[in-house]
Amino acid sequence: MGKGKFLVFGAIASLGLAACGGGGGNGGGGTTTAKPDKVQIAAEGPFTGDEASIGAGALQAIKLAVKDFNNKGGVHGTPVTLVPWDDQHSAQTAQTLQAQGISDPTVLGIVGPMNSGVVLGSIQGLQAASPPLPFVSESASNVKVTDSGNSVAHRVNARDDAQGPADGKFLIDQGAKKVEVMDARSDYSTALADATQKYLSDHNIPFQRDAAKAGQTDFSTIIQKVKSFGADWVYFADEGPETAPFVTQLKQAGLTIGQNINFLGTDGEEDPSIISKSQGAYDGAYATNITADPAGVSSAASYVTEFKNEYGADSISKAGPFYGSAYEATQVLLQAINNSPVKNGKISRNDVISHLASDTFSTIFGSVKFDAKGDVQGGGIYVYQAKGSDMVVVKQVSG
Amino acid sequence: MEYFLQNFPQQLVNGLETGSLYALIALGYTLIYGILEMLNFAHGDVFMVGGFLAAGVTALLVHGGVSFIPGSLLVLLMMAFAMGGTGILGVAIERVAYRPLRNANRLAPLITAIGVSLFLESVVQVFVSPAPVGLPTNAFVTQAVLRFGSVETPLTGVLLFAVSIFLMVALDLFVFRTRFGSAMRATAQDREAATFMGIDVDRVIMVTFFAASALAGMGGVLYGLRFATVNFFMGYLLGIKAFTAAVIGGIGNLRGAMLGGLLLGVLESLAGGFISTEFQDAFAFLALIVVLLIRPQGLFGQPLGDRA
Repeated sequence: MGKGKFLVFGAIASLGLAACGGGGGNGGGGTTTAKPDKVQIAAEGPFTGDEASIGAGALQAIKLAVKDFNNKGGVHGTPVTLVPWDDQHSAQTAQTLQAQGISDPTVLGIVGPMNSGVVLGSIQGLQAASPPLPFVSESASNVKVTDSGNSVAHRVNARDDAQGPADGKFLIDQGAKKVEVMDARSDYSTALADATQKYLSDHNIPFQRDAAKAGQTDFSTIIQKVKSFGADWVYFADEGPETAPFVTQLKQAGLTIGQNINFLGTDGEEDPSIISKSQGAYDGAYATNITADPAGVSSAASYVTEFKNEYGADSISKAGPFYGSAYEATQVLLQAINNSPVKNGKISRNDVISHLASDTFSTIFGSVKFDAKGDVQGGGIYVYQAKGSDMVVVKQVSG
Repeated sequence: MEYFLQNFPQQLVNGLETGSLYALIALGYTLIYGILEMLNFAHGDVFMVGGFLAAGVTALLVHGGVSFIPGSLLVLLMMAFAMGGTGILGVAIERVAYRPLRNANRLAPLITAIGVSLFLESVVQVFVSPAPVGLPTNAFVTQAVLRFGSVETPLTGVLLFAVSIFLMVALDLFVFRTRFGSAMRATAQDREAATFMGIDVDRVIMVTFFAASALAGMGGVLYGLRFATVNFFMGYLLGIKAFTAAVIGGIGNLRGAMLGGLLLGVLESLAGGFISTEFQDAFAFLALIVVLLIRPQGLFGQPLGDRA
């Protein structure tokens, strides 16, 4: 085949594929009815891969939220279909998955993405879609997620510029004299560590800044620097996978958490599996989380019972830090869809976006209303501590 | 200056340990390049499989409740199993993926190697675990920490260094002091002439792949013992660093690979400890660029086949 013919063939083939993709969602009647023909929402997050410990539990929560909503009648009688998108903590995978949803107009919103880096890497595509595809994240904390002025962006968790100062204040209140600030070179961790470092520096606490990288297991260089600096607290902003080897090696180097060093981690490190992966070296470590633990909030108590009934008695300990906020985010999205008008059996994403912006939603954590940027006012930061084989809420702080 | 002097010995020791791991894997790269003049990009993933084989052995024996096996025996079992397993894997890869391309153009085996690498990573990710797998090392390896003055390092780190050096010396003796080693060097120098000399080239290549892969497998075990964790992606960065070390030392040169690895480890550790941990990886590749600019054949740039 000559080069020219190949190009023409390729062009025709891609046009054909695009037509198939676009036409997929256009089923359904043209009669005016108050019942939509088909309603789908997507759940996006790292359900497998290195961050499955935060993603798997969130997916369970989202599935439960959809099930509960459908049991109450769904959207005017139509049950909601949930489409799971496993982005494996990769913005590229996310974009591929989102492209499927973008071209299907019955996909009305996304619960997620969970990772700041994935959101920032894919938000342009979501906003530029026609119509734009809104999302409600349960865990993305980088300030740029909502500062960028995109109407699709919403989140129910707190932001780095609240968590950073809150973490810094916790460290100072605990008596920290010298803090080793570490991040893991990601959109989430670097921004958060920067925010905390700024708070420490504004309050004249000496600090030393170091960076690990995703997948790192050999921390001998950094640990030597920690010892040389004489830090009494280590603050490690990380999404989770690097923490277990790090604290293991801290202990090997003679720094035992709770005895001659203290440790404060962040959201992804509020994870009981780190205790077993570090073979106990993590015991006594603290971690802050940008969302509430349903077990500690009275209005969410029945949710916790329901979760255990659905997934087993020990499911809570494996559900990760976001099984509460994921349920909350799904409630918000589904209520916004439910409030949107049905025209010719279809709901428009533009209407969902305007209802997300204007309505007040009722969730397991109380009522939720987004500000102009897509953030929730009054997000608190919760401090957990590793005790035995669990992470236990010890305090609530704010910056 | 005082900071430097205080911390230099420790960072040096850290670097030597990391470097010995790089050297072990770099040896595999260089061996295969020397014989076949191809870069086996799947080599880092063979190391990764070795780590998982070791983790599998511990999972079976420690969690399976076979607790009467003494720790040292368990470690030996891990090593034997991992080295044997990866050796066979290496031979299988050569037979299936590289041998058919032995006379194809130079690019084909390279691309195949990348394919094999992705394949191995995916198989482990899907069928074993996408998340890091922990090894319960506390249960069977002493967590003792050795201290010399201000320098301290866990026993598993010293083990990593010592076993690596031992294997490197053993390989060196094998290649330079035995008859089969001569056959390997002859094949590396000129494959066609070697067949005229009556050398079974296919067998030499098979043994080379076995040895290189077994070394990588041992690297996986030592890594698992030292860091108590393995994950499906760990071969990638380590493979690139080891390849860098092999090139710095002079690709195709055994002693170059060993020294290149140690040098790279030390350089990274010192750069991370005294300049910036953020750019630690970047320094490794900066070193590669500098060496290639100044001395493109590498520090010891003579191929395996030449009599040095």
